[in-house]
Parts: sequence; structure tokens; C-alpha cells
Amino acid sequence: MPTIIQKVQGVFAAVRQRLRGGGDPNAARIRRRQALSQKLWRGLPFIRLVLFLVGYLWMLALPSSQFGQRIYIDENGLQPAQVHTYWNWNDVHRADRILDDLERLRDQNATSDQIASYSAGVFEKLGISARTQRYSFDTVDSTINGTNAYAVLESPRASGTEAILLSASWLSMTGEGDGTLNLRGVASVLALAGYLKKYSLWAKDLVFVISDGYLDGMQAFITTYHGLRQANLHAEPLELSSGVVWTALNIDYPGHSFSHLGLFFEGLNGRLPNQDLMNSVGMISRHTGGAPVLVYDHIDPRETPNVPSVVPSWVPQWLSNNEDVQEYAMRAKTIARHMNYQARGAASGVHGLLHQFRIDAITVFAVPATGPHGFYAIGKILESSLRTMNNLLERLHASFFFFLLVRPEIFMKIGMYLPSVILVGTAMLFSGLGEWVNAGWLLTSVPSVDDEKSKEAQPQLVEKWIRRDRPVLDAVMVMVSTHGVGYVLFEAIKRRLAHPSIFFLLFSAVPLLLARLPQQDRPGSAPTSAVLKALNLCFTSAVISITAVLNFSLAAALAVFMGIPLTVASSSPSPSIRLAKYTGYSILALGWLMFCPEETRKALWNWEVLRVWLAPFVCVVYVPLVLQSALVCWLPS
Amino acid sequence: MDRDADPAFLALFAVRLALAFAPLHETLKYDQQLSSPLTSYSRLREGIYLFEHGVDPYSGGAFRHSPLLLSLFSTALPLTRYTSPVLWAVADSIAAWALVRIWRLRSGAKSTTRDRQVAALYLFNPYILLPSLAFSTSSLENALSLLSVMCASSGRASASLFTLATLIHLSLPSILLLVPILLLNITRPVSRLALPRLFDADLKRTLPLFIEFLGYATLLTLASTLVCGNWSWMGQTWGAFVTLPDLTPNPGMWWYFFTEMFDHFRPFFLMVFSVHLLIYVAPMCIKFQHDILYASFLIIGVLALFKPYPTLSDPGLFISMFALFPEIYPYLRHPIVTGLIHLHASLLLPLFNSLWLRQGTGNANFFYASTLVFGMGNGGALLDAVWAGLRIAVGKLEDGYEVIQE
Repeated sequence: MPTIIQKVQGVFAAVRQRLRGGGDPNAARIRRRQALSQKLWRGLPFIRLVLFLVGYLWMLALPSSQFGQRIYIDENGLQPAQVHTYWNWNDVHRADRILDDLERLRDQNATSDQIASYSAGVFEKLGISARTQRYSFDTVDSTINGTNAYAVLESPRASGTEAILLSASWLSMTGEGDGTLNLRGVASVLALAGYLKKYSLWAKDLVFVISDGYLDGMQAFITTYHGLRQANLHAEPLELSSGVVWTALNIDYPGHSFSHLGLFFEGLNGRLPNQDLMNSVGMISRHTGGAPVLVYDHIDPRETPNVPSVVPSWVPQWLSNNEDVQEYAMRAKTIARHMNYQARGAASGVHGLLHQFRIDAITVFAVPATGPHGFYAIGKILESSLRTMNNLLERLHASFFFFLLVRPEIFMKIGMYLPSVILVGTAMLFSGLGEWVNAGWLLTSVPSVDDEKSKEAQPQLVEKWIRRDRPVLDAVMVMVSTHGVGYVLFEAIKRRLAHPSIFFLLFSAVPLLLARLPQQDRPGSAPTSAVLKALNLCFTSAVISITAVLNFSLAAALAVFMGIPLTVASSSPSPSIRLAKYTGYSILALGWLMFCPEETRKALWNWEVLRVWLAPFVCVVYVPLVLQSALVCWLPS
Repeated sequence: MDRDADPAFLALFAVRLALAFAPLHETLKYDQQLSSPLTSYSRLREGIYLFEHGVDPYSGGAFRHSPLLLSLFSTALPLTRYTSPVLWAVADSIAAWALVRIWRLRSGAKSTTRDRQVAALYLFNPYILLPSLAFSTSSLENALSLLSVMCASSGRASASLFTLATLIHLSLPSILLLVPILLLNITRPVSRLALPRLFDADLKRTLPLFIEFLGYATLLTLASTLVCGNWSWMGQTWGAFVTLPDLTPNPGMWWYFFTEMFDHFRPFFLMVFSVHLLIYVAPMCIKFQHDILYASFLIIGVLALFKPYPTLSDPGLFISMFALFPEIYPYLRHPIVTGLIHLHASLLLPLFNSLWLRQGTGNANFFYASTLVFGMGNGGALLDAVWAGLRIAVGKLEDGYEVIQE
């Protein structure tokens, strides 16, 4: 009867035997390594497929009700909805009187100057120092003029090194500044200014801004406030200044009354504010103001009558009645809107211009309705929110900047959504590495040189890997020059040098010239297209993975547009198929010039006025990467 | 620039000079990856200003450059908007020229077709170009390293030892190069990687060289003391490499570790980190005794990976020096992986640095993580270089044979 120790030793020996094999341990190691790399190589297509599938399915699953967790307040100092508010019907009456004046100005077709001097006058009458600021932007299409009014209420309790900014723009965010006026938003800010002045509890300066236009006014104000220079902006210097702005609220109240309070938070270049700010305002709105909270203006049809269902009508009845499907559709709508803002780098409201200066800012949007809320509710919500922001002793910090809000009270942490895109990036990386091996090694069948077998009539064929040179320098040269072409494209469309369709033809033809760069037919070395594809995939994967940290939505869009197409790009022996493929990839790269003129115009405007990086990024990174793929199809294999 | 004045070299130099005057310096000069507190241009200017106004620049904590730079730039070569770009472009070009010379000495040819590639690989390596555009003094250190190796390779012992002494004055960790440079002085730089053999030069010949080096080092130390008028510069310049007083983030491995460290462990770990650097010298020089130039290259790689206060110039020098050893390329095990790690790291480093310090949405761990990725890239390159340098001696293999490491 063997003892336990002997038994354990026996098991160990067996495992060792199994792992190392008999005989020379080094030989076993080599064998093991070879087996592993064989297995990896054989399994590569499968691994790649799994990574792609899991990545894309994960993206599709993001709106699922299974994901997400309840929001919470991370910064204890905020103490939202813990104060008694004193905003009452007298103040509402004052707001109504200001609104009357504003409506009169609107009916008179008052100029920007008149409106701004009216606002500044209201502030001055309240005893708050106020000024106006004229500005103009030169863009290629037109010149934008306007006048801002702003006021600084100095903090009675502190030195004014920190400030809170409260703003309303003249144009509402409805239809991205389609001309709807934000009269009640402006009236709220003006009435609140008088009300807030009565209290001595402010530990931070309050900066009130009535900005002209939709985004341009605030851009002029905030860049001047931070002493930044922008070549195409001419703005008067600010006569009043205050401290570092930590947090900001922007009020958008276009309708007569409102039913819900919508939160808008996306900033320029995909930046998000600290989530604590939104969570606090949301909590205050629910508990102090009594107004239900929405993400954007997406009213849930399950909670409100007379709102059309979000589930598309082609979905069969039994499915669209399912609770999970409805929830999925609702969340998908929210995520899609978020991604649309973030991927384009566009601000979802005036607040978005402030993030670049490290100001946590959101817009509260009073969703237009026939009732039940009005100045009374919004005043209470703003008063309480400002008190909460006043509590802060340090900036909102904690890593609460990476989130995906799917419902007003449910969000996803970075770890729950980031892997989807990273997996697609990894799949592309693996494809690239596979192509790299393919470019350097050729699997051929050669007659066996074994003496005994060569005596037989038929020499046996064995598979053998033959090493070949990789023309890396040629491929890199092609890549660098396509990015150069991308830069030229950007400079050209920025100046609107020609019609977009001419650009399309021109810039899809230029890479064909680059295709002549590599030395043709070098015997014994891999075709340039193979190396180009390997490097292109590896580089794209790096771009996607790294963008994901900065701007998840943009990375997701890149993963969708480039993931599969770049991986399946390959040359073909038939010239007509090669040309067809090349055309297809050119359309993927440059099709936006032809098919999305409005989107292109907006992106260029955003670059010129707001310094949004989307237009240069698309021209210098996205277009060249897809064009490289087009060249992979074009170059002979 | 070169004796045969190849127009291609002149063109490279011209392009480099044009880049120096591109308006990039303003955006790059405070970048923490491009200049460390010990190599920063703005701190150098600050020190010179204090020095010229009769204040001891070493009495505060801001200035940690060598007194040699102080005296040089406050007298002979004033730093202005026009001289600095030229100076740094010239330093880079001298370094590139030294690299080309080393390559020629190694290949034993007067000029080769790869010369231009080698020069371009140094001048336009982004890891070297960007710190140089930020006027980081690490570019000058790189030039001195390469000059020292070049002189040692061509048998000009005194010149090589003097440059080495100057280099060590500017950057103490470069003392690791002392042994390889001494040995390189008494051997030839030609490639013997494929044919390893025992060290055949007379080791005793290094003794007078070592004494000569000590002489230069003493001379420079005395000169520095004369410039400053006291000894306080030692603690502020050399001392900083050993005691790490300034924990400004950099792309190296030290700063985060010591921000997290409890104070009572500090001396111990400072000692461990500093001594750890030294342990690589002997094994590298013994294993590559047949090709000391290769050992010097590996030591430069170790410095790039582990030295306190590195900038991107240090890994840049190591990577550009790969150009000297084309014979090892077929034996590198994972060049694409190393390359990809470097690609990711060089995108992540500036991104996470700005997420933490500019946008404020990240924190120190973000940047630290990216420096770890960068360290992995450098470490991978170094290990691969060691492997390939040894592997080449086995030569091409028959089918069915493999080389493994015991």
C-alpha cells in the first residue's frame, strides 16, 4: 500500500512526464514550442474570428438591460438636494417680467447689441458689475458677428479664486441652433442673478454669461476669458474677470413650460464632464424640483402616454411588447445619440465648449411641453445645484470621467464597454501579425531529400517554410506618402478649392501614382502588398485601441468602418476585380465627399470655429488608412 | 560636415536645420517626455540667468545641469533664439556623423551605400529629433556618447577618454560606459559576433588609460569647482542621479516607484536601483568580449531602460545604434512585436500624460502604465539584441535543427 506522499510523487512524475515528455528535456521544450506555434498558427483564423465576433456582439449588446449599474455620488462634499431652497413665486414673477421685456426685444427684431445691453442693464440694476463683449469669427463661408453680455458676482465669503459659471445662449440647442430662441433660459439666468445676490453664502464667484448665437458666443467668451488666441476670432477683451471656473451650468429652456429635465453632457472632441455633476443635478431635479430627469430629450414611451414607441414598427408585435426589447430600444436610442455626438467630436450644447478648459459643465434642457413645470421648478433646481457646486473644496476629480450613460439613473463603467472595441483592435492586430508571417515565410511543397525515399519512383512532397525578404521600407514609404496625401486633402477641402466630386476623383486617383513607388518584381522577396497589409492592419489596430481611451465612440465607429474591410482586403489576379475592389475602398475612404456634403460642411465649421479635430483626423488618419487598404487590393500579389 | 562632403549629408543637415527653426520649440519645451529636470532647456536658461546675476544657481532646487554647461553657455556660446536651434542641430549632426564613422570603422570601408541611411536614421528618429527640438541637453549627451565610442573605435584613446569624462560630468549614470570604452580602446570595432573568441588584447594596457581618464575627470571636477567657487554643485548635479530629489514625471522607471515609497525605505531602494545598474557591466563585457562595440551598444540599451531621469533621447540612441549591426537583423526573434509595443507606447505616453496633467480626467497611474509599456518595448529590444548577438555565432541552421537557451 503506497503512502500518500508516494502517491503524490507519482502524480507529479506523471504530470512531469506528460509535460516534458521522455528523454532530453531540451528536445521536449523545442517540440513543445513547435507544437504551440503550430497550434497558434493553425488556430489563428479561428482566434481572429472569435475576437471579431465577440467584439462586435459586445458592441451590439451594450444597450442590453443586463449591463449597467445604478449611478451614485462619488464626491461626498457635494451633498446634493440637502438644502432648503428659498426661490419663491415672487422671484417667478420677476422672471416673468424679464421674459416680457425679452419677448418685446424679439418682436422688435432687436440687434445683438441691443439684446446684450439690455441683459447687461438688468445685471447693473441688480448691482452686479456687467459688461458686453463684441466678437466676430471669419470662416471661409461667412463671417459670424455677435455680442455677449456677462456679469461677475463677487463671492462675499472667499477671495474669488474660484468661480461657478451660469450661462444661457440666445439661441436654443433645439435643432442644433436652428433659430429657436432660448428666451426663458435667458430670463431664468437674469432673474436668478438678482435672487442669488441676496445670499451671502457663496464661497465662489458667480459668473453669468448671456452668450449670443448658439455656440459661437460662448466660444468667443471662454477663449477670451482664458487668454487664448484664435487666429480667426476677433473679440473685445474682457473688462471683468474672475477666478478659475471649476463647474458650470448652462440653461436651455425654449418652450412655454416643461415636463422633464434633460441632461446634455458631451463636449468638444469627445470630452465628458465629471459624472458627479450630472448625478447631482439629476438627484436635485428629482428630489428638490420634482421634475423627472431624462438623458437628452428622450421621453420613455412606457412612462408617458401619447409618445410613440421607440421600437421600430417592422418588429413583430409579440417582440415589441417584450419588456427587454423595449428597454433595449430605449437604451440603443440613447447610446446612438451619445455616439453621434461623441464620435463627431461635437458639443451637444453650449456647455461642451467649456470642457477644454477643464471646466465640468452640463446643459439642463427643459423639455418643451404644456406642463406642469415652469420658472418655479427650474429656479429651485438651479438654486440647489449651485449650492451643491458651492460646496466643493477641490475640483471634481476621481476617475469619474469615463462612462456611458444609458438611462438617467443607470450607467456603464469603462470596463464594461471599452473591451468591445479593444477586442476588434486585437483581432486586427492578430490579422496583421498573421500577414507579417505570411509575408516573410512561404509554405511550399518540395520533394523530400531523404535518401531512401528518393530511390522510389515518386519523390514524396513535404511541406516546407521558405524564408523571403520583406520590403518593409517600400511599404512604409507608401504609408507615409498616403498620410501626406491625406494632409494635402485636408488643406484643400479646408480652403474649398474645388467641388467635392473633383476632390473625390483626384484623391482616389493619386494613390495609384503612389503604387508605382515600390520597386517592382524583386525576385525572392515578398510582394509589397503583403507587407503593406500587415503594417496597415497593425497601425490601424494601434490607432483604434488608443483612440478608444480618448473617445470611445470614435473608436467604435473606426472599428465598424475599418475592422472587417481592412482585414479582408486582398489582391486578385484579375485586373478588373482589382479595379473594382480599388473603387470600393476609395468610396469607403472618400465617399463622404460625395454623399455627406452637409456633414462635411459642419465638420469644417467645427474645425474652423471650435477646433474640433474630426475633420483633420478623418483626412490625415482615416482616409489614408483605407486608401492603403485600397492599394493592397491594387498592387499585384 | 564630412571630409568627402557628400551632398546627401549636407541635404540631411539642411533639413535638420530647417526643422530646428520650425515653430515647434514653444509647444515642446515643457514636455516631460522630452526633457527631464536634469536636461530641461528652460531650467538651463534659469541657471545661466542666476549665474550671470551673481546668484549661486545651485543654492535652489531648480538647476541641476553641470557647471560645464553653465560656463560654456554663459561665455562662449550664449543661448538665444537663433543660436540654440543651430547648436542643437549641429550637435545632432555631429552625433550622426560619429555614428556614420563608427559604422565605417566597423565595416572597414571608406564609405558604404548604407552611410546615408545610418545618418538619416539618427537625425530623423523621432525619439531623438523631438527632444532635440525641445533643446533638451540629452541631445548633447547623446552626441558625447557617440563621439566617445567613435574615438575609442578609431584608436584615439585620449580623445575618447576626455569625451567620456565630459559625458559622465553631464550625466553620472554614463559611468557604466567606462569599462566598455576602456576595452574598446585596446580592441578593434570590427564585427566578430559571428566568430566569438577569447579576449586577446592585453588587459594591462587599460591601466594607463584608466589613469588618464581619472586625470581628465579630476581636471573637469576642478574646473567645475573653479566655475562655481564651491563644491555645492556636486550634490545638486551628480547627487540628483543617486538621491532622486525631483520626482517630475518622465518616461523612465524610477519616478513613480519613489513617489509611492515610504520615506524610511527610500535610502535602501535608492541604493538598490543605483547598484542594479552596475551589475550589467561585467556580464555584458565578458559575454561579448570578442566584440566590445556590441557590449557598449547593449550597455547604452541598459541605460535607456533603467537610468534615472531618462528622456526619449536615451532609447532613441539605442534604437538608432541598431543601424550599426545589420548582421544581427535576421536573428532577431520578435522585431515586429517590439516595434508594435514601441508604436503603442509612443502614442500612449503623450496621450496619458495629457489626460493626467492637462485634461485632468486621468491620474498618475495612467501615465505610469504607459511608461511600463514603454519599458516593455525597450526591454524587449534589449533582450532581443542580446539574443541575436549570441545567436549569430551559431550561424544558419540545417533543416530540423533549433537553437535553444539553457
